[in-house]
Amino acid sequence: MSANFLKKSDLLFMKVGLHAGESLEEILVRKRREFDAAGMIFWGYGGGTCHPSKCVQPFAKVKVSEGGDVYIVMERINSRHGPTEVVATEYSEDGLVWNPIPKGIAVRGSRYAVVLDELQMGDLEIDLSQYKVAAGPSTGKVASKYISGHVDKACITENERPPEGIGAQIKKIEFYAKLKAPYAVFTR
Amino acid sequence: MALDLRKALNTVSDVVQNRPAPLREFDQIYMKVADMVIQAEFIARTFDNKDVVFVGDGDSIGLSVMHLKAKGVIDYAPSHIVLLDFDERIVNAVNEFAEKNELEEKITAVLYNVCDPLPQENFRSHDAFYTNPPWGASNDGQSVTAFIQRGIEAIKPKGMGAVVIADDDELDWPRQVVYSTQKKFVEMGFIVCEMIPNLHKYHLDDAPELMSCSIVVRDVLGGSVPPSEPLPAKTLINFYGRDNPLKVRYVRDLSGLNRGRAADVTYKLIPLEKKL
Repeated sequence: MSANFLKKSDLLFMKVGLHAGESLEEILVRKRREFDAAGMIFWGYGGGTCHPSKCVQPFAKVKVSEGGDVYIVMERINSRHGPTEVVATEYSEDGLVWNPIPKGIAVRGSRYAVVLDELQMGDLEIDLSQYKVAAGPSTGKVASKYISGHVDKACITENERPPEGIGAQIKKIEFYAKLKAPYAVFTR
Repeated sequence: MALDLRKALNTVSDVVQNRPAPLREFDQIYMKVADMVIQAEFIARTFDNKDVVFVGDGDSIGLSVMHLKAKGVIDYAPSHIVLLDFDERIVNAVNEFAEKNELEEKITAVLYNVCDPLPQENFRSHDAFYTNPPWGASNDGQSVTAFIQRGIEAIKPKGMGAVVIADDDELDWPRQVVYSTQKKFVEMGFIVCEMIPNLHKYHLDDAPELMSCSIVVRDVLGGSVPPSEPLPAKTLINFYGRDNPLKVRYVRDLSGLNRGRAADVTYKLIPLEKKL
């Protein structure tokens, strides 16, 4: 797939790396097995941004209802997320109705998970200055200004009229995948 | 009145320590402490000697107002506050704090969801209302309108109100919500008599620089208000944002004996003789 698909898609940008004591390579191997076993992947995440029901679900539902797709695009970073014993046993779309985590899937050390189709390897680049935040209270902000410091992920869409005077911020994308319904879930 | 800053911050710190952890899915996003002091002093002054209903108050501004007065940090405050909130943790926390600090005669919290008709005893019975509702970032301010509607139903003719909503010069949606909120008030016979822009910041990871304003309104026409009815189903669909409906009537309090303390499940004690 060429990098052109990024320009036509709405994206969930996420920085990824060591998590819960597992290296990114170990996580990727485990997640590929997860897809083979369950036909989908639960990619765990946490933090105060990209809340499942406040941000990712409404963003993806709207884009899919308009005939589009939403892709997660992952930038590799160095992280220091410590080991954890916590493995989720249940997931929920709304925090009200909880179901067992599907067989073959494991979510470690995460309160939320984004639901993905098969993971793809890529050698792609995106310029965050050409995107804007597309969901949540920072909707409309230039993505390159928003994704900095402790903000490591965001639902973004191409900015048809990017503001002038903002320098390019190129991100190398090594992995990507299409989001699958229900797009993002709570885990416990 | 000049504020004793240390005393004011420590007094509001008592209130902050008493609050349950916020639930992001319901837009419980807590105001930063210094801004709570500013807001509480402003509300105490604006609604001095008035009987005020708070339509939701996760921040605990109502409790801060009364505690600041009781501790002598300020010498003005509403005569009484009723807090209506759908989160039993907040209701219980406020009532228990009031009991411990001899504020039971000054503030009472009651479990109530704005999707339901206003309790009869609150209908058209207060001098003023206060609300800091879900800000309607992606529902064109529908949630703001719902909370304001309950506030207006709760006050007597010619009453007052105060609303806290997002205020940001960089983003389009807060300006749209401020515009639609003020328009709604004018349509209901109110005037905006005071607006303090860019007044508060919040513990909000996905918009740490987003601020809010205080808008004070006054009912100048004193017109009638229709009986309080359940919110229409269509209003609930995008209540917490686009395609993010109101589905929960109450948050039940399961904190038991752990209120204000770390819950047992959040930590484990490792004996001195053992290593990790």
